Amino acid sequence: MKVLTIAGANLRRFLRDRSNIFFVFVLPIGIVLLIGAQFSGDFEPTVGVFEAGTEIGASLAEELDSKGVVTVRRFDSEDEMLRAVERGVLAAAVSVPGDADTEVAAGRQVGVGFLTRPDGLGPQLRVSVIEAVSAVTLEPNAIAFAVSKGADPSVAAEASSASLAALPSIEVSTRSTGESLFEGVSGQFDIGASSQLVLFMFLTGLTGSAALIQSRQLGVTTRMVGSPTSSTSIIVGEGLGRFVIVLAQGVYIVVATVLLFRVDWGNLLATAAVLVAFSAVGAGAAMLLGTVFRNDQQAGGVSVVAGIGLAALGGSMLPLELFSPTMTTISRFIPHAWANEAFAEILRRGAGVGDIVTQLGVLAAFAAGLLAIASWRMRSVITRP
Amino acid sequence: MEAILQARGLKKRFGDLEAVRGVDLTIAPGETYGLLGPNGAGKTTSISMIGGLLERDGGEVVVNGAQMTTTSLAPKADIGLVPQDIAIYPDLTARENLRFFGRLYGVRGLELDRRSDEVLEVIGLTDRADDRASDFSGGMKRRLNIGIGLFHKPMLLILDEPTVGVDPQSRNAILESVEHLSDEGMAVLYTTHYMEEAERLCDRVGIIDQGEVKAEGTRRELVQLVGQLDRIRVSIAGSADGAIAGIRSLGGVSDVVSADGTIEILATNASEVLAPTLAAITTAGAAVHSVTIDEPDLEAVFLHLTGKALRD
Repeated sequence: MKVLTIAGANLRRFLRDRSNIFFVFVLPIGIVLLIGAQFSGDFEPTVGVFEAGTEIGASLAEELDSKGVVTVRRFDSEDEMLRAVERGVLAAAVSVPGDADTEVAAGRQVGVGFLTRPDGLGPQLRVSVIEAVSAVTLEPNAIAFAVSKGADPSVAAEASSASLAALPSIEVSTRSTGESLFEGVSGQFDIGASSQLVLFMFLTGLTGSAALIQSRQLGVTTRMVGSPTSSTSIIVGEGLGRFVIVLAQGVYIVVATVLLFRVDWGNLLATAAVLVAFSAVGAGAAMLLGTVFRNDQQAGGVSVVAGIGLAALGGSMLPLELFSPTMTTISRFIPHAWANEAFAEILRRGAGVGDIVTQLGVLAAFAAGLLAIASWRMRSVITRP
Repeated sequence: MEAILQARGLKKRFGDLEAVRGVDLTIAPGETYGLLGPNGAGKTTSISMIGGLLERDGGEVVVNGAQMTTTSLAPKADIGLVPQDIAIYPDLTARENLRFFGRLYGVRGLELDRRSDEVLEVIGLTDRADDRASDFSGGMKRRLNIGIGLFHKPMLLILDEPTVGVDPQSRNAILESVEHLSDEGMAVLYTTHYMEEAERLCDRVGIIDQGEVKAEGTRRELVQLVGQLDRIRVSIAGSADGAIAGIRSLGGVSDVVSADGTIEILATNASEVLAPTLAAITTAGAAVHSVTIDEPDLEAVFLHLTGKALRD
């Protein structure tokens, strides 16, 4: 009962701090949204076209538009289009010279300008533009060639049109080989949701260490020791308080991402098991940090650095699948990696509790180790004069 | 009657510093005992050992018949400890703070609600019960700090310099609260370096300095212990020569001097000899204009025992 009293006071104090509400409940969802947007399947680069009043230019714009891979935006001013590329509004721009129609009809070479930013999708879009230019200039080029060889222009146009219609089309088939890095990911928010959940749960746990230190600084912990409450109850109560806060955040992120982003968390029992195990890790880390430092500013600073650093090493920023072999080995010593791996199994490969026993076992071992060391440290700290 | 607190030979050393050197204390139920000494005398260290917050290097503490250690729970339930530094959660309300610590002392259910209301009344925070403690003045926080200590109706309330840094109004409210609790039969161990607080509140006072209780007893016992006497000055009109011999013969009077319309009497207890003295003067035919009594205070006792002033 006293354990619940201490844990309850922790929770109440936590919820009273409005900054906690932002960092624990608002920020994680915002980050999941941003990461999800980067994985969005709806992304279509915009390409500007300056037609210069030419038929070739109009055909080129139509041809690009018809591919369905880019959004075409027509410009009346070449300078305006250039600025749009510079500002990043356009992924690329195509500029057709004003004499394109007459030059092509005369069988002469025409220079079509292609403009892109150095850090974008330029190379891919260049290929698409070249294909489109080829498509729209094929027939005029053929007519011009025939005329240059003495054919009547109207006969040449008719023959060219008939020839193009008769030409067999070439179909290019694409087939993927090997294993996909993110096989089974059904939604754009799935990867971000699980990795950010792991990052924020641990970060919240660590920053909670400041509350433990504040209790000591306020003299409340000493006062608890002076009451008929065993040091074990105090330690368990403080630990339970941190555990409940971290777990509550985890559950909140799961529920919020389901409702807002339709994230499929797979087997809920397995997800719950990972949440519980990782919450215990977060609580243990918080208690340990809270007993190592004497003031909350120190603990707060270290918490942020350690929380983000361990999250990066544990695959919450860059997926573990993209790690080098050395970094993969290092990540084996970071609890985040095991939690991220467990979520990957659950979300992408439909794993149940039985399939993630190893990950759960390692997380439980991390939690037990951290809680044991933290309890030992805390027992000596709370009875220190 | 069995003592509620018996502390014998308490010792504590911090490195080279011998903070407490064999302190003995006994407090009876309902008694208010003052531990009077300057800062650094060993008051807080002594009560930390008595309250089970600090391991002692020697001696023993028995609270209501049970041995007190840092791990023993039963004797801690009989004590209400009010630390010198305010120990509350500033982000909880006054009521929430009281209920939190009340639960730690085993108060449950309806009793928790009832005691919350009672204690808020006693400490004068009923109107601010649901305000966060962070919004309170220093004096209000001090009162809440005390309220937490007495929430579970302890047999012994330990107050460690509860009026340090508070305004006169809050200080008076705190002293009145302690008097009220004492009247209700609660034993109080009160540490202070304010002589006037010890004189006002305490049935017995222990003078502590450099980790040792130099002397203890009632104020009068301490005064007598160091040979200090009460001084009565009576301003008269007319001759009282006939009364001098009679006053000198009263029990407890050690000297009588009459000069320039003033009679000065040195006595061990002014209140005991005042009435017969005035009767003797008026019987001798003189009229009494004014009476002044100077009782030696604990400051003088402290100076005598330690060779330094209380606030040094």
